[in-house]
Amino acid sequence: MDVRAQLVMVFNLDKCIGCHACSISCKNIWTDRKGAEYMWWNNVETRPGVGYPKKWEDQEEYKGGWVADGTNLRLKAMGKGPTLLNMFFQPNMPKLEDYYEPFDFDYGNLYGAKGGDDQPVAEAFSQISREKMAHIKAGPNWDDDLSGSQVYAAADVNLEEKKIIEQYSTMFMHYLPRHCNHCANPACVASCPSRAIYKRGEDGVVLVDQEVCKGWRFCTSACPYKKVYFNWNSGKAEKCIYCFPRTETGQCNVCAHSCVGRIRFVGVLLYDAEKVEQALLKPDDQLVAAQRAVILDPRDEAVREGARKNGMPEQWLEAAEKSPVYTLIKEFELALPLHPEFRTMPMAYYIPSLSPVLTSGGELHELVEHGTIPTREALRAPIGYLASLFGGGNKEVVASALEKLIALRIHMRAKNLDQPADEAILKGAGLDEAGAKRLYRLFTVGGYNERNVIPAQQREDLDSHTRKGAGGFGILKKTGRGK
Amino acid sequence: MLNTLIFVVLPYVALALVLVVTPYRFFTNRLGWTAYSTQFLERRTLYWGINPWHYGIILILLAHLAGIVAPGVMKRILGNKDALIILESIGLGLGLLALFGSVILLLRRANSTTLKRLTLVSDWVLLFLLIAQTATGVYISLFMRWGSQWYLHTVVPYFYSLISFNPQLEYMADFPLIFKLHAAGAFLIVALLPFTKLVHMIYQPFTFLKDPPILYRWHSKPKERVG
Repeated sequence: MDVRAQLVMVFNLDKCIGCHACSISCKNIWTDRKGAEYMWWNNVETRPGVGYPKKWEDQEEYKGGWVADGTNLRLKAMGKGPTLLNMFFQPNMPKLEDYYEPFDFDYGNLYGAKGGDDQPVAEAFSQISREKMAHIKAGPNWDDDLSGSQVYAAADVNLEEKKIIEQYSTMFMHYLPRHCNHCANPACVASCPSRAIYKRGEDGVVLVDQEVCKGWRFCTSACPYKKVYFNWNSGKAEKCIYCFPRTETGQCNVCAHSCVGRIRFVGVLLYDAEKVEQALLKPDDQLVAAQRAVILDPRDEAVREGARKNGMPEQWLEAAEKSPVYTLIKEFELALPLHPEFRTMPMAYYIPSLSPVLTSGGELHELVEHGTIPTREALRAPIGYLASLFGGGNKEVVASALEKLIALRIHMRAKNLDQPADEAILKGAGLDEAGAKRLYRLFTVGGYNERNVIPAQQREDLDSHTRKGAGGFGILKKTGRGK
Repeated sequence: MLNTLIFVVLPYVALALVLVVTPYRFFTNRLGWTAYSTQFLERRTLYWGINPWHYGIILILLAHLAGIVAPGVMKRILGNKDALIILESIGLGLGLLALFGSVILLLRRANSTTLKRLTLVSDWVLLFLLIAQTATGVYISLFMRWGSQWYLHTVVPYFYSLISFNPQLEYMADFPLIFKLHAAGAFLIVALLPFTKLVHMIYQPFTFLKDPPILYRWHSKPKERVG
């Protein structure tokens, strides 16, 4: 047993209102720079939709992630030999148009325009070429709220039945906030010939060493989530850094901190690094279960012993015990990994959405009149769609999570209305009174310190040389090209 | 005078710059140590430029190097007439491939407003210099036949005399001007290497080939820790 700690985020999709506060706060802190204008380390997509960059889930096109061929895991794109031969030109790298051409508006013209008959306008210009843009053709959330659904939502690779998004009575949508998953088996790390990308041993955060990166761009292609970006100005790769300057001091990531819907939970997960590869060899529909099996119980004495042997501080073990993400992912099996079939073992988890709860069979307002909560068969979001996103195609794991959410709602509704609670409903979904109470607290009134349990890095455990050398005042050296 | 400049001053200046500036750049600021790929912004033309260029020029450079590293072996191989003809033809083909690629790369930069904005003076200098270098190389292999053969008996001994700090000009003095330009271009490119994006050449992925796929870095004190 090789016990490692991982900082993990869980997203409760039912509560996401798609306000993009997370994306904006992330942009303000980290990517508001030349060369990074088009990057959204955190972005929010409307599902069904093509996402950002367009059709990132289509690995037949981008060749991201891993494939299991019976006894071995190998990168889908190429092995080490072909890597050396493809260094000059990346066959699978997304191009700027797959994201969007970043633009700004010439506000100066509103003040500086010469007098005339017409109102001056602030014309759009490209932030890369600085040329005027007559038409803005795309943006990071171009298909927000199903806009242009005939073009964008219809191209969603998870959607089996395109017809359901064509009719108002069957249409559905939910939001999908995404940042780097800080995977346990990151394809970007494995693909880098410069060995610039690494996973931090202490908290599992995946980082790009800007001094080592030579800009060969294999990571941008290898990441199946397209969450490693190429900075066109510095000529190097960049990605979400999990706000490590904040988490190292016990503060919550800025995306989670700014979340209006309070949909995010951050905490420690312990996992067995020795079992990761074996788990990923399982067939697609068993991957969720296999991934859960790799996660260890922080209350188990043997696990704690193994963690101590690996030098894990006591504060981290304490935080792992109180971890809200362990509760949601392993104890209640509510939160699911995004596209586990890419086999990177993503370490961000999603609680699938019940919304919209109106049934697709029958009258739209029937449910409101009957004052009840629908069964999972009657939910509008097709279970196959959710299973394609979060289950590796396994409908059972998604259904069981949805059952629990429905049971929890029925139970709490009865309690609020002073009606007799039906224990059988909770039991049927695999919950009990205490569990329902814990989940209810987390989902509703739980405060900052309940939703986010982040242990700080132990300064006394750090090597004093690297601590002084690595903790600095930001980048003082010149980066990027001259102009 | 010209001979002394090209065959004595230039090579030693280039060598000194590489030996001093490269480590200085490595230890002071590595944030600019990249090839500054523009594939992200334009990829269709790049494909036809970057691949021919690199596949051509790397093999040509290795061939130049082989004569210096193992002159005996090369002499024996090229002593065979068939081998000589075949290797010379391959060399010429690769040279033309590299020339084609580099011209495409120049036209690509010149024709895109987006790329032009990102192109520094050093990029233009390098492009023109590399094209000129490849062109003179192709000219020499076409009109000064059996270069791979006479290279071993002129350039290689001259090179050894350079390394032993006893430059012997007589090996090179009687060559035509085009050859001298080729030599001057080579030393100039070496001299510019540490100052430009050419530093991306100094990179060998040896650890990548033997490393396990997932790389971990621990910041805390190492205590019997592996992986």
